[in-house]
Amino acid sequence: MKKLIINTIVLLGSHLLLSASWGATPQWCSSDKPVKIAAITWESGQFYGELASLLLRNGYNCKTEFVTGSTAVTEAALVSQDLQVWPEQWNRTEIIKKGIGAKKIELVGNILQGGTMEGWFVPEYVVKGDPERKIAAIAPDLKSISDLPKYKAIFADDEDSTKGRFLNCPTGWDCEMINSRKIKAYKLTDDYVNFRPGTGGALDATIASAFARGKPLLFYYWSPATLMGKYKMHKLEESAYSEACWKTLADKSNTNSACPSDSPHYQLSFGVSAGFKAEAPEVIELFSKLQLTPEMLNQVLAQASVKKVGADVMAREFVKNNRQLVNSWMTSEAVGNFNKNFK
Amino acid sequence: MTVNIFVPMEFSSSLNEWINSVVETHGNFLHSVSAVLLKNLLLPIEKLFTGSPPFLIISLIGLIAFLGSRKWMLSIGFMLSIYFIGCLGLWEKTMQTLALMGSSLILTIVIGIPIGILMASNKQVSKIATPILDVMQTFPLFVYMLPAVMLFSIGKVPAVMATVIYSIPPLIRLTELGIREVNHEIQEAAKSFGASYWQLLRWVNLPLARPAIMTGINQATMMALAMTVVASMIGANGLGEDILGGLTNLDFGKGAAAGVAVVILAIVIDRITQSFGQSARAKRTRVMGAAGGQK
Repeated sequence: MKKLIINTIVLLGSHLLLSASWGATPQWCSSDKPVKIAAITWESGQFYGELASLLLRNGYNCKTEFVTGSTAVTEAALVSQDLQVWPEQWNRTEIIKKGIGAKKIELVGNILQGGTMEGWFVPEYVVKGDPERKIAAIAPDLKSISDLPKYKAIFADDEDSTKGRFLNCPTGWDCEMINSRKIKAYKLTDDYVNFRPGTGGALDATIASAFARGKPLLFYYWSPATLMGKYKMHKLEESAYSEACWKTLADKSNTNSACPSDSPHYQLSFGVSAGFKAEAPEVIELFSKLQLTPEMLNQVLAQASVKKVGADVMAREFVKNNRQLVNSWMTSEAVGNFNKNFK
Repeated sequence: MTVNIFVPMEFSSSLNEWINSVVETHGNFLHSVSAVLLKNLLLPIEKLFTGSPPFLIISLIGLIAFLGSRKWMLSIGFMLSIYFIGCLGLWEKTMQTLALMGSSLILTIVIGIPIGILMASNKQVSKIATPILDVMQTFPLFVYMLPAVMLFSIGKVPAVMATVIYSIPPLIRLTELGIREVNHEIQEAAKSFGASYWQLLRWVNLPLARPAIMTGINQATMMALAMTVVASMIGANGLGEDILGGLTNLDFGKGAAAGVAVVILAIVIDRITQSFGQSARAKRTRVMGAAGGQK
């Protein structure tokens, strides 16, 4: 009991002390409202979420909470101001675009240098072989998507062996629609089956299985992602990026035929609700400075997978190993708080 | 201070390594097994459903419903509700779901009923199998679904496997229960007339256990249907695709339409399989009544 009282006093005391260092504490947090962060369903998003939470808690005296849900659900919650932060926002869903249009949310920062990368991949050993594993290169001349009809026998579909199989994005993701249109735009409908894996887990399991068995596979993938750091993938070249053609691929309302184009690189940022932005300019400043290189991020993700630890552990380790970089994102008051609180 | 009484144990990393090594060493073989199953069982059944003209399937459902229930209005109602699914534009996906369910059901019956019979006749087998059935019914299938994808390829085959694992326990349990509850005096009478084990099984135990077995098949069918969404999560096509797509896209309408189709299918199949169980019982009481009258 005595211990409890002492604890409470210490806690209250430290709380007062923390509020005293008002220089870094946003108005949102000093009124004791928790910052609700969307729990992202993929690893890199989880890492950004944990990183933001770590900095907010230790540097800015904020309470943070993670809210789980599918992408669509958490995005809708951000627009309706029920969530404050949406880490690793790709800015490609209708919900987000409408939310920005209505000034309900804003995207802050450029958190991955060079942005995202996505496209159609085959394992590297399909093109270059792997002498160590005694895998011969079975398609050394496969360079671009337009070469694919020649190689359909290599990627044969289990159900219809006259065609190849393209492993698309999981059902219902935006990339699924875009890839389905790309199949038509690149005139692959007669040669390839558009196979949807259902979930990200099933897509990853299929890719991991093909790599483990040294078998060919044609699949869609993206960076940043764990598997990108784990396996050597070979990206197939596409037609050059053209804004007009990309619109025919990515615009949901488009009913006309699409023309081929490479996917653009997306700038990744933090989605923040308008209410939070108004009451936490300090955090907005942090988010606008926060940036990792793709190498850093893929390294973090691959390590998390090897060590089998969660994003929270990886965020702590990242901060420990990159203290200077992390400090450069924060104000000097926040750095002071952070040095005091982070253990 | 709390004292830690637990000896730390961990098996997840060794299990992961084991699965990876199995994929590396036996993955190709298991993939070819899965291709054989796909080409010889799943695809022909799917072609049967998706290839037949809709009016044929609708009238077949009406006919089967009538044979089971002997009720005109009910059969016509079922035909109309199946027709309604077609109006929603979900005909092909419904047939894919039915085909997946049918393939799983065939495997469930072929495997489940013999195991149930074995368990009824041998207490030792029953003792060993019961906890295994508990595991099958309760172990979260998301845990073994992805290893199944790595071992057997993505798509219909692991979906059917997961469906069979999930839906087979009630059939096994009810088969065992049904045979155990057969009146011992009837069994004794049959034995005293010199019936062998197979004759006893064929002419006494199975017919008398039929209502229980039909209930088991009914339960297995319902559980197989409930697996459509899960099946779509590992790339099996069908109504589950729309539900999953609606889920990931906040498209309630799309998900609800497919959901309604699943419910209609469930009700129709449930009533039809139940009516066969009931009518078997009704027929038997009629026959026994007649036999009693002759005396």
